[in-house]
Amino acid sequence: MDYTYNRISFFMNGKAVSADLPPAISTLDYLNKSCGLYGTKCSCNEGDCGACTVVIAYVREGAVMYEAINSCLYPAAKLHGKHLLTIEALGSPDQLHPIQEAMLRHHSTQCGYCSPGFVMSAFALFAMKQKPDREEILAALEGNLCRCTGYDSILNAMEELSRTQNPETIVPTWARALEPELFRFKTPVLCFNQQSSSLHSSGAYHLPSSLEEAFSLLEEHPEARIINGGTDIMVQVNISRLKIPVLIDISGIDSLRQISLNKDGVRIGAAVTYSDLERSGIVKTDLPWLLELTKVLASRQIRNFGTLSGNIANASPIGDSLPLLLVLNASLILSSKASQRQIPLKDFFLSYKKTALAAGELITEIVIPIPPQGAYIKFIKAAKRKAVDISAIASAICLETDPQGLIKTARLALGGAAEIPKLSSGFSSILGIKPEDINAEELANLLASEFQPISDVRGSAAYRQTLIKNQILKYLDEVSRRQP
Amino acid sequence: MSKLPYHLSGKLHLTGSSRFIADEAPLPGMLYAKFLFSPHAHALLKDLDTSAAEAYPGVFKVITAKDIPGQNMIGHVIKDEPLFPSEIMYAGQPLAMVLAEDISIAEHAVSLIKAEYEELPPVFEVRTADQNQAWYVPERKIESGDVAKALASAEFTLSGTTSSAGQEHFYMETQRARAIPLEDKQIMVLSATQSTMECQEVISHVLGLPAHNIIIEVPRLGGAFGGKERAATIWAVMAALGTYLTKRPVEVLLSRDEDMKVTGKRHPFRSDWTVGYSSTGEISAYELTLLANGGAYADLSVAILERAMFHAENCLHIPNIRIKGRACITNLPPNTAYRGFGAPQGIFVIESIIEKLASKLGRDPLELRRLNMYQDRDLTPYGQRIEHCPLAAVYDKLEANSDYQKLKIELDKYNQMSTLYKQGLAITPVKFGISFTTALLNQGSALVWIYIDGSVSVTTGGIEMGQELSTKVAIVVSRTLGIPIEQIHVESSNSQRVGNASPTAASTGSDINGNAARIACEEIMSKLRPAAAELMQSKWGVQTSADSMVFEGGKISCPRSSDSLSFTELIRYAYNSRIPLAAYGYYSTPGVHFDREKGIGKPFHYYVYGAALSRVELDLLSGEHRLLSVHIVHENGSSLSAEIDRGQIIGAFIQSLGWCSMEELKHDAHGRYLTVSPSTYKIPGIRDLPEQLQIEILESGAEEASVYGSKATGEPPFIYGMSVFFALQNAIRNVNPEAELSFPATPEAILKALK
Repeated sequence: MDYTYNRISFFMNGKAVSADLPPAISTLDYLNKSCGLYGTKCSCNEGDCGACTVVIAYVREGAVMYEAINSCLYPAAKLHGKHLLTIEALGSPDQLHPIQEAMLRHHSTQCGYCSPGFVMSAFALFAMKQKPDREEILAALEGNLCRCTGYDSILNAMEELSRTQNPETIVPTWARALEPELFRFKTPVLCFNQQSSSLHSSGAYHLPSSLEEAFSLLEEHPEARIINGGTDIMVQVNISRLKIPVLIDISGIDSLRQISLNKDGVRIGAAVTYSDLERSGIVKTDLPWLLELTKVLASRQIRNFGTLSGNIANASPIGDSLPLLLVLNASLILSSKASQRQIPLKDFFLSYKKTALAAGELITEIVIPIPPQGAYIKFIKAAKRKAVDISAIASAICLETDPQGLIKTARLALGGAAEIPKLSSGFSSILGIKPEDINAEELANLLASEFQPISDVRGSAAYRQTLIKNQILKYLDEVSRRQP
Repeated sequence: MSKLPYHLSGKLHLTGSSRFIADEAPLPGMLYAKFLFSPHAHALLKDLDTSAAEAYPGVFKVITAKDIPGQNMIGHVIKDEPLFPSEIMYAGQPLAMVLAEDISIAEHAVSLIKAEYEELPPVFEVRTADQNQAWYVPERKIESGDVAKALASAEFTLSGTTSSAGQEHFYMETQRARAIPLEDKQIMVLSATQSTMECQEVISHVLGLPAHNIIIEVPRLGGAFGGKERAATIWAVMAALGTYLTKRPVEVLLSRDEDMKVTGKRHPFRSDWTVGYSSTGEISAYELTLLANGGAYADLSVAILERAMFHAENCLHIPNIRIKGRACITNLPPNTAYRGFGAPQGIFVIESIIEKLASKLGRDPLELRRLNMYQDRDLTPYGQRIEHCPLAAVYDKLEANSDYQKLKIELDKYNQMSTLYKQGLAITPVKFGISFTTALLNQGSALVWIYIDGSVSVTTGGIEMGQELSTKVAIVVSRTLGIPIEQIHVESSNSQRVGNASPTAASTGSDINGNAARIACEEIMSKLRPAAAELMQSKWGVQTSADSMVFEGGKISCPRSSDSLSFTELIRYAYNSRIPLAAYGYYSTPGVHFDREKGIGKPFHYYVYGAALSRVELDLLSGEHRLLSVHIVHENGSSLSAEIDRGQIIGAFIQSLGWCSMEELKHDAHGRYLTVSPSTYKIPGIRDLPEQLQIEILESGAEEASVYGSKATGEPPFIYGMSVFFALQNAIRNVNPEAELSFPATPEAILKALK
């Protein structure tokens, strides 16, 4: 069969590399199959275990970032212009890296299969953060599963490193030496046709560097699917063996990777990652709830390349960010070659995984108005595990009262309760009354009757009904305790 | 406390340089296997048309039952499991194997196979299977005293049913094997197995070749937990069969979702019970029927059931007891060994009962446990005498370490104040029997070579799977030969170097293989000692006896001389003097026996004891909880390495916490597992660590312990995780004393119990 290959240029473990990639090949497959590097392990191939964690270094806002990613979900083509660091480059048995040294001393490895992934996650953490605290360590390692150690020895090693490690020794000198190259990098990606006897998951993978280029590609390939972070599409490629004729990756369009404060609120570009949100001063000051949400969403590795716009475009009924964005009255800028329109997020989801996105259109920005001072805004995510789990029910609330203490804004959105994430209509029944006069039980029952969740592997319908009710009770309990 | 020595493979693991099967360069000409898995749980395979697959470019061969040269049988103890079935017994059962040059081609070709099925009614529920009398073997029974009479005369009786659920192993390294053709019909099989002997034996039967033609090599496993004791065999056989038929290297590598779909899990149990007890809390009688959901084939189900029965009374001495057990056939993938091997399922029942009785009697469960606990010289229901029982000391320590009495008061206060959150507390003890209950498996071998430069190579029948058996064996060799660890290399397991190896299982790895290595080293030492005395005399004229030579730190000295020999020097001398520098060590665990018909014997060499306390804070609205603190007291003989044992204790605790409170297997109406990825099947992550964790290892110096006074550690601490379940239950019963928490205690189960 004929495929469109990508010739990309990047750096791997300190050396300049040019690679010819079959379309949509993951970084993990590239390492294992094309490079003969086997230190990076495949355990789940869907970004949920962290065994395949590698680190990418790239320029972002005038600095070089070191970020851990799941190589199984990271299309290798995205490596273009970046520096890929794998376990092979970080220390050797004869000369361990300080992280490896600490993990050895603390007996932080047993069967060893997850160890390279833990080392790489820890490397990205310590490369970017001096003396991380316990919470930062947990956040960095929550995306790495270990079935042997029970994690205690790993955590101990990290805490000791944080106390004693000289930060200068974390990023190897050869990696530092390469950083100027990342700033200077200009080579474009090449596409060319090639025959292959292997069956690849996609016919072509395009990496436009500008919006114009993206629109032209969309016009040329109406059957194409947009890929952004790829944290969902690559799962479908790896596990469901989804075949996609053409993929257009918009994550490399710099103009889309911006967060700005405007009159109509905070504008978040489509290529902004969750980690970008976490680092953003604007988000921290003006949308602290979004920051809180980002912390409990997915894993460190996924947050490093997953995007908010991807979560929206994917339109999963249980997309973690969606209830909060709904109650914040977020809207989307949808752009095509010919036009641009703004649509409220609540009108974007049509039915199960169907959206209002027209042919040739992309989400280019998310606009989130800044809620008024004093509004009560909160979200709750109910899941089996504390971190890196898909919710059974996720909800968010926004309540505002007028100077008389009467409720003037009441929005509640639910995920996992219907075929799309959506705002409750019944919740407006509390408008015009005082929060303390709400009959919590009654309201909760009303809401529970508005939504008819289904049973699936993450929970029964009855469980979800209970959660809907209890999450409302929890919000109201908190509202009642608020200082006026 | 010294943390030395470190993991023998630690530097390799942490730099990604350690070798795992299939995570290595493809061999020239290698073929990749993919399987047609049955979509039905119970059906007759009427027709299988592989012609389109076979014709697809890049496909080398499609293998089905008709291609098997020997017996189509991979059942081991009970011969009931074919490699490729005609009557399909579970969804996910392999029906055909495609071998192709490329994995994507193999996968595509599988979709071209046409199969016709005649569906038969499947059974998934253990109760239904039991009613149909679908058992692998007749009911098993262990009995002592007179239960009927004791129940009749008991002040109170209580009956109930208790269920525990299955668990996916989730070893990080999925099932895999590579087979390589050698000359003269020999095949080398690199298998991720816990049992080289079983793989070799089964492959030789399937291929119709003598065992010496099949060489099994196991570098190490990326985790196993019992899931590669028997469940690895089928994949090793597939690879070997592929190689036998094509004369090419063949790789079998399951993806995570394939692995989770088609492999067996921990046995779900359902148990009916009645206890007789007094108002003062003495338990006089216990009648129990354990039903194990064995899945499609016998696998290890009967032995697992038996271990559940052996652990049914856990730490309690109950004078009148009758334990019955039936392992039932259902149409799920054959359930198999999993850390604890039935013991957790048996123990869960009696611990549930104690918690219930305590709440009925308004007593502290720990008081009831103390009141009924084993004392020295008590007999177990199967007639093994309890000796050196440290339970009282374990409870004392645990009470002191956790400040138990104060903690209870604190909890009561908190719970009175708090409406939306409740705290709970529970203690779970363990008495875990060590030895294979199939007595013949309690044997092990080791081969030790000292090379001319004084470096040492050790092979045992044991498999390194992360439990650091290699490190422990090296510690034993280092102690016995008096040389530094760095001088010792513990080799991969290989059936040519050590044959007929028992599986590395039942926590016996270091007992059996460590002892075999010790014996081999002692034999070499018996020749080296006189040689050393001779050399001392010839060098310095020191008159000394062989027995007085001290081997330590790579030097040999004697009290009569200030000079010492180096180990290397002695080895060179011994070689020149034609003294053997190698030995084969053989160990069999003394005194273990069990009569299955009578249910009497001494199945265990010794017991491991301990107890754990967990404290949780439950959010009544979400059903989610925080694990505030955990205290563990673990009796462990004289540990070979406290750090390794600590790692086993915490690892087992967290794995068990997953089983009890998080991990949930679901299958559809067709018996197909739905939870086949880490996105739907949640194992604990780093945020599930207790906020506060304290472990005290009690050095007991127990004389019945094993190599250098150490005790096994792999499985016993698995029981501790149950304390999280019972602490959650305790928190729930603060709201509703009658609430029944189902297993596992997920937020969903908790909210249901609170309703």
